[in-house]
Amino acid sequence: MPFASASKKTQTRLFLKNVMIPLTGLTIASAFAFLFFYHVPENSANITPIYILALIVIVRYTDGYLPGLVSSVVAVVCVNFLFTYPYFELNFTLSGYPITFLEMLGVTLLTCTMTTSMKQQARMIAEKDKLLSETEKEKMRANLLRAVSHDLRTPLTGIIGASSSYLDSRELLDESEKTAIVTHIHEDANWLLNMVENLLSVTRIHDQSSAVKKTDESVEEIVSAAINRLKKRIPEASVSVSVPDDLLILPMDAILIEQVLINLLENAIIHSQSRQPIQCYVDDDDKNVTFHVKDYGIGIDPERLNNIFDGNSYIGNSESDSNKGMGIGLSICKTIITAHHGTINARNHTQGTEFYFTLPKGE
Amino acid sequence: MNVKHEILLIEDEKNICNFIATTLRTQDYKVNFAENAGSGLSLAASGCPDLILLDLGLPDMDGIDVIRDIRRWSNIPIIVISARTQEREKVEALDAGADDYITKPFGTSELMARIRTALRRSALAGSPVGSAQSRYQAKDLVIDYEKHIITVNGNIIHFTQIEYKILTFLSRNAGKVITYDTLITHVWGPYADSNNRILRVNMANIRRKLEQNPADPQYIFTEIGIGYRMIDNENL
Repeated sequence: MPFASASKKTQTRLFLKNVMIPLTGLTIASAFAFLFFYHVPENSANITPIYILALIVIVRYTDGYLPGLVSSVVAVVCVNFLFTYPYFELNFTLSGYPITFLEMLGVTLLTCTMTTSMKQQARMIAEKDKLLSETEKEKMRANLLRAVSHDLRTPLTGIIGASSSYLDSRELLDESEKTAIVTHIHEDANWLLNMVENLLSVTRIHDQSSAVKKTDESVEEIVSAAINRLKKRIPEASVSVSVPDDLLILPMDAILIEQVLINLLENAIIHSQSRQPIQCYVDDDDKNVTFHVKDYGIGIDPERLNNIFDGNSYIGNSESDSNKGMGIGLSICKTIITAHHGTINARNHTQGTEFYFTLPKGE
Repeated sequence: MNVKHEILLIEDEKNICNFIATTLRTQDYKVNFAENAGSGLSLAASGCPDLILLDLGLPDMDGIDVIRDIRRWSNIPIIVISARTQEREKVEALDAGADDYITKPFGTSELMARIRTALRRSALAGSPVGSAQSRYQAKDLVIDYEKHIITVNGNIIHFTQIEYKILTFLSRNAGKVITYDTLITHVWGPYADSNNRILRVNMANIRRKLEQNPADPQYIFTEIGIGYRMIDNENL
């Protein structure tokens, strides 16, 4: 039973902490007090404050009242036993001694109460934060799901409709109509595949930590692989690509970054409504490497630009069919880049749109 | 060459099976099916096909084990069919002895190209001419193994010892994916560090000497997470 053993382990650790800290604290205090006492024997008034200081520290770093209280009793006994005449004997009849005792006890109790409430507050704040980020995550997931179902339904409707019309009225169609129907099915199916690949790639990001498994990869290989796959999918695509002369090696999940590049390139080709070649290039500075995908097309409405990576920017948009897929593809890009601790942005330049994302170089 | 090549297709999805079989038949191949690994293995043993197309996700047996089993007694070319995101599975399959892989979903032209390459390689490996091939040529690149000379467009290009070793190994296996580990073992020996950074650096240098644009290579392609594939030898 791993769970039980784990909780047992933390219990032992807690116990150790609550015993070790008071022990070390008191030992150090005693050592200091002894040094002090040895060198300046005539002024023993400083001994008690040393112990009080130790007590405050102990209470701060242990849990609950018990360690503090026990430590304060031990401290009182120590002062009495070691540093007050008669030495190495307990004598509680000294004048004013009860006051020292009460003083130490008071300090301990007060500090205990304060630190306990402090710790409780900190815990409450942390819990609240966690709850907030959880709802945030939940919201993101719901958005994604909504966008996915919307985006999947469109091509599926096309495929089902086209194939059933083919099956139902095969005899009535001429060759060119048949070809048109099958081509349509082919296109929609390809588009579906693209979508599913995107979704699959997101499952590579671990849910809990939203972290990715990174290995050192050569930037030019990622770029060339992305271009290669893009050309397989869209043979007529024209992209001019360049990378820096120096070899750049970055820690990343290569499949995911390739996916981001493909999404951006594909978007640029499909949505820019321009035949001019897409530019894809990479540059770097001391800390980061930036990948650019630049098209020379119609640009993007500045209002949409603000939340283009949110995944739902097009929901409720009447012309959603013309930008199908842009929403999810980009929100997945954002998820991937964020998981790499990078940033992704879009801006309009004078003749079109530029998407760029930045990944941090490793140490 | 009127003898039809025989292909054994081990795949449990009926729809995919049908589509591949139809395509292969129109291209004049003879196709046999097996729906699971067990019957696939016995068909492979009894029929001795020229090539095996193997889906890795079979119901009764791990695809990797199927490859190992076949490799115990035969060098029949095996092309693995697998999904895109499972790089580790592909690398395992290649290291277990598969000749190539193709990623689901694939177009018919891609599948046919892979099959042709694999068949040609296996035909070469069996002939004395093939094992002693002395020249590699693709587009403007020529590698002369006997003279240790590499030219692009007729110009001699100088490579370091390591770079030359990488290039010859890739070109002798042109058309086939070579995993990072296989390449590292071949060039640096079996005890080399499996960290492939040094391989990346060498590859970057090779590309800068060989390719016009290293970001859009013509000769050596990267299969992300798996390895490298060099363009087919035209000299065969």
